[in-house]
Amino acid sequence: MIRRAATVGRVGVPAMRAYAPVVLAGAVVALLPLRYGDSRPMMGVVIGGVLFACYAVGFNVIFGSTGQLFLCTGALAGIGGYASAILSDRHGLPMVLAMLLASLMAAAVGGLLSWIAVSRSLGVIFTGIVTLTFALAFQNLLLGQRDLTGGETGLVVDAGSDTLLGEQVAPFYVFVVLLTGYLALFRALQRSHIGWAFRALRDDEIAAELAGVDVKRYRVLAGTLGSGMIGLAGALYAHSEGFISPSTFSFGEVDVLVIVMLAFGGIGSLLGPVVGAATFTVLEEWMDSFDEYRLIIYGSVILVLFLVLPRGVVPTVQRLVDVARRRAVRRAPAPTAEPPVDTLTHG
Amino acid sequence: MRAVVFDGVVLGLQFGLLGVGLTLVYGLGGVLNLAQGQLAVLGAIVAAVRLDAGSAVVPAVITGIVVAATVGLVLDLTLMQPVYRRRGEDRVLLGLLLMLGVAFIIDGVLTWRYPIEALTLRIGGEPVDILGVRMRTGSLLASAIALGVGAILVLFLRYATTGKAVRSVIQDEEGAQLCGVSPATVRAFVFALSGGLAALVAVTRSMTSPVTVNAGIDFTILALIVAVVGGLGSVSGAFLAGILLGVVNTVSAHYIGTYITTIVLLGAAAATIVLRPSGLLGAGRE
Repeated sequence: MIRRAATVGRVGVPAMRAYAPVVLAGAVVALLPLRYGDSRPMMGVVIGGVLFACYAVGFNVIFGSTGQLFLCTGALAGIGGYASAILSDRHGLPMVLAMLLASLMAAAVGGLLSWIAVSRSLGVIFTGIVTLTFALAFQNLLLGQRDLTGGETGLVVDAGSDTLLGEQVAPFYVFVVLLTGYLALFRALQRSHIGWAFRALRDDEIAAELAGVDVKRYRVLAGTLGSGMIGLAGALYAHSEGFISPSTFSFGEVDVLVIVMLAFGGIGSLLGPVVGAATFTVLEEWMDSFDEYRLIIYGSVILVLFLVLPRGVVPTVQRLVDVARRRAVRRAPAPTAEPPVDTLTHG
Repeated sequence: MRAVVFDGVVLGLQFGLLGVGLTLVYGLGGVLNLAQGQLAVLGAIVAAVRLDAGSAVVPAVITGIVVAATVGLVLDLTLMQPVYRRRGEDRVLLGLLLMLGVAFIIDGVLTWRYPIEALTLRIGGEPVDILGVRMRTGSLLASAIALGVGAILVLFLRYATTGKAVRSVIQDEEGAQLCGVSPATVRAFVFALSGGLAALVAVTRSMTSPVTVNAGIDFTILALIVAVVGGLGSVSGAFLAGILLGVVNTVSAHYIGTYITTIVLLGAAAATIVLRPSGLLGAGRE
């Protein structure tokens, strides 16, 4: 069982405290242009980091909340990106409408995959492989449908270049708004009855079913919602970057990184995706100077990080805080204040 | 048509052998070896380097296989130990992530040291007629090796004491332990075996087309698909799945065209999993 972060997002916690981390994370990320705003390449790197944080939140909704291993994050983002680009550039749809339609398409595909996995009760690995085959097939489709997608050479996306998405710093803020929105949505889910259902089915599927949770429905819901989020992020990226190619959305470029980021940050935790995306964006940037040893160092860092923190940063920190708090309470003479058990951790 | 199917079987036997290594390691230790393809390529490149140094083919190939097996063994004895101490999903996830790191490292070392190395084994000799189909000697030798090793493997698992120990641990780790089987020893043995098998597949592949430094990821993905379609933990399932996918691959490449082939192949794999959620010959749900 993967231990999730303590359930700070429970219904009982006041909204102010529950959403504080969301606001804080958004604010910290929003400060980044102060340092990197003058450099176009650095802004590109920072935007890439926020984009991957968005992907990771979407993936967290699917995998972290309901245990469905979707190995097609890149493909779902690609559906968003390519569909939005084609709808707006070829068919003249307004960009925002195209992006929305594209995200709906990604949501529908993700929901379908989830429905297949759920109704055939595929295990984690099997869901992973089915979605992986979908991702690889999608990649081939992009390469093959040259007339529509430009094949290997990629596709220049015009729509959006004359809006604020064409500027240097402005698109970054659009992404920050998107990320903050995603985090708020994630927290809202955690606090709603849906979050209860997610936790129940994640802890023990059969027990949840017996307690009256419609496990299938909630899994498909998570698959649909998370895929829509990933699709929207991909669509936004297509318009702000102005160019997409199959490798922008390939398994190797997106999924591997998203999984590593989320696992390192903490699966199922609110801020895990942000911590993971930040860590690995910095790491990739730092490693570029190593050139030919790049992959070796990258692999070694992954090994060390996961050997030291196999549970992820956020859950580990949370546990340490919990332990410290419990100790402090034990030492305190009169426990008149509220009991310290509002953060239940398992084992 | 017959020729195409034959080619498919040749390819499929090698797919199968690749999947077997992955399936055994997963069945035993719950580790999804994402570096399987990199181990295969490592073996192939070692063999190629030996050949460049003037070594004869057979010793070079054996060196490659031994190196890959040794790396597998060392990985099991060192890096995988913290993984085996965990249970359930935690174990699967940590194992998968650590092996991903290993895959990066092997890829990195190979592309850094030997960026343009590739293994190509040219097997001479006239094409041979089999059931009216002219087969190249290279493909025949590759299938003969795959078939032979596959048969030895199946017999070994069925009748040899060590083989039975392997199966007992796959079925029930604690039960096997109670009967005096050491899961740790069995796991180490199988990890080494899987590395060696992977390298062997890379070697047989190189008899028909060159195996390059960056082929690792393709091998891994293929192994994953074959292992899962066959049912994780099932050796004969992996071979069946390999042959099925190999035939689908060549038949659709021949009749439909290469671009759609990959999609057909992937579709066939996905359809099999969806129709039989535990794999072709899988015993039960994970």
